[in-house]
Amino acid sequence: MNAPTPNIDSFLSIDNLTVEYPLSRRAKVHAVTEFTAHVKRGETLGLVGESGCGKSSAARAVMQLPRPTSGSVRLDGQELTTLRGAALQHARRKFQMIFQDPIASLNPRQTIRDIVAAPLEIAGIGTKEEQTAKVAEMLDLVGINPDQAMERRPHEFSGGQCQRISIARALILSPELLVCDEAVSALDVSVQAQVLNLLEKLKGELGLTMLFISHDLAVVKHVSDRVAVMYLGKLCELADAETIYRKPVHPYTRTLLAAVPEPDPDALRDRVELIPGELPSPVNPPSGCRFRTRCPFATARCTDEVPAIREIAPGHTVACHHPLMEHSAA
Amino acid sequence: MGEIILDVRNQRTAFATGRGMLQAVDGVSFTLERGKTLGVVGESGSGKSVLSRSIMRLLPGTSMTGPGSQILLNGKDLTAMTENQLRRMRGPEMAIVFQDPMTALNPTLSIGKQIMEVLMFHLKMSKRDARAKAVDLLKAVGLPQPDVRVDQYPHQLSGGMRQRVAIAIAIACEPDLLIADEPTTALDVTVQAEILDLLQRMVRERNMAMILITHDMGVVAGRCDDVAVMYAGKIVEKAPVRSLFSETRMPYTAALLSSIPRVTDPPHRKLDAIEGRPPDLINPPPGCPFAPRCRHAEDACNRAVPELTGTADHQWACIKPLNTEAAA
Ligand SMILES: Nc1ncnc2c1ncn2[C@@H]1O[C@H](COP(=O)(O)OP(=O)(O)O)[C@@H](O)[C@H]1O
Ligand code: SF4
Ligand code: SF4
Ligand SMILES: [Mg+2]
Repeated sequence: MNAPTPNIDSFLSIDNLTVEYPLSRRAKVHAVTEFTAHVKRGETLGLVGESGCGKSSAARAVMQLPRPTSGSVRLDGQELTTLRGAALQHARRKFQMIFQDPIASLNPRQTIRDIVAAPLEIAGIGTKEEQTAKVAEMLDLVGINPDQAMERRPHEFSGGQCQRISIARALILSPELLVCDEAVSALDVSVQAQVLNLLEKLKGELGLTMLFISHDLAVVKHVSDRVAVMYLGKLCELADAETIYRKPVHPYTRTLLAAVPEPDPDALRDRVELIPGELPSPVNPPSGCRFRTRCPFATARCTDEVPAIREIAPGHTVACHHPLMEHSAA
Repeated sequence: MGEIILDVRNQRTAFATGRGMLQAVDGVSFTLERGKTLGVVGESGSGKSVLSRSIMRLLPGTSMTGPGSQILLNGKDLTAMTENQLRRMRGPEMAIVFQDPMTALNPTLSIGKQIMEVLMFHLKMSKRDARAKAVDLLKAVGLPQPDVRVDQYPHQLSGGMRQRVAIAIAIACEPDLLIADEPTTALDVTVQAEILDLLQRMVRERNMAMILITHDMGVVAGRCDDVAVMYAGKIVEKAPVRSLFSETRMPYTAALLSSIPRVTDPPHRKLDAIEGRPPDLINPPPGCPFAPRCRHAEDACNRAVPELTGTADHQWACIKPLNTEAAA
């Protein structure tokens, strides 16, 4: 068995990240368990999985919102999980986040100028005039006319425009890492395409590193260099985007990909049939492999032993006792 | 031709709003045969849900139906019926499944009781028969352990299981027409695939007609016989599913298809976004509603609203349809 290659050149290093939410003295939600991923500077890591698999918890733990239960998050060599107070506030300039609901994430009572300027205001950067000039520059960058938008309020804008405004706000402190949590999921496809193209353009122009979380596998493929698949708090498989979609070896990745409805009446639909039943609770996750209660390939070993993360090809890691290496997916 | 279950004639539905009349559904006509599934696809606000509620006659008091609108279900005009008559139609002749299954479920009643109520009201079944039939229905929709689950409450079920129960209620009285309005939008992809399979199987086994409403071209591609594309309250293209994808006529349909990210694309492909947004339905532009965003628009497009034209199979509302020379 090969241990994953250590990633010395990674810009964002997430190691053994664990997030637990206590429910009572004895019970807790195991939202993320020992998640490890490394992202190079300028790279986009996509994070996919179904609702409740821990994607958003992992993203928030990277943001230190709140701090993870255990594990390490290093950004450009700096450990974030031990930073406190002013030091954490200062480090925050380097990593920013955008959320799913574009309209709800903007304060309805504030003007667009004040919303976008808020990070500068909090960090105490610049005079009022300098801040306004910077806001205009950012709005321009995301394709919103500053002269028309500055003094208006969020409800006067569409969902797509509000998401552009959130992006302007997230980028105003020139962060190096942008975390997007379902950032385009609430948008119609035509508008979603506009925002995805914008994110790709900005990433190139500004050299951003991105963590892009979505339940939509097609969207993730469009923006990601590498993709991590999660199930019930655990990493299943991580590889470059092309490999994950062409040669997935984890049974869950296969299942997920096969279920994507393709906009093509002639697409082959060779579905992997799941064992019927409910998604187990993250309060009492199954022993061994967490996917075993639904996995058609499960054996006794899958019940007894947690599958270790193995590197099966350079940069392609998988946590499964019986990866589907022989067959290759279409 | 098969037996026509539903005949929608010039349906117009408007809402009185503070800013004026909002024409949510604007002259929609189509027919649907037994055993067939019609996909209705469009972006949010295009009128899909108002159309489905217009057919079910489940509209709020602020709505107005056009004077020339008719909805014939099994030959009977729903627009001329009283609420009492409609109540007897909903269940045995038509039923709807919503995006949020809780719209159809009562949180304070066990799921078994809810199915039994429907059976006892419409089919006049005895309590004991209704309970047995409820268990059968839960089994048919793939609920595990139906004889135990029958006594459970909606909150004890996952979203996917609740949608199965909502489908069980919808099909309980064997309706001729089933409308599913974004039935899987709130569900995960693996659950979505299972629910769509289930709907398809129910339609086939019970020989119903189905209208499957969705914003997702991927969902219609694999599940429908015909597809109607809606934009600004109108059907702007309607065709057998294969023709819609391979012989697209309406520029809006084409633009929508090429703005979709696909798992088969190479990573980082630039998407063909449609710039701008749909028109205001209170003050729509005078001509083609898509003209302000259309790459092929010319002056004539702004003069009059293009009529739906074409063949019996394939229709489009565009004065400069795409690929017409290439067509067979
Ligand atoms: N009760 C209502 N009152 C006023 N306007 C409404 C009402 N219901 C829907 N609308 C409007 O009708 C249009 C079509 O809506 P809808 O049918 O819900 O679209 P879709 O289902 O395609 O997203 C939208 O502009 C919407 O805001
Ligand atoms: S470890 Fe076993 S149960 Fe888990 S995915 Fe692999 S084969 Fe399936
Ligand atoms: S009628 Fe004109 S504006 Fe409308 S879709 Fe056709 S070409 Fe475009
Ligand atoms: Mg709707």
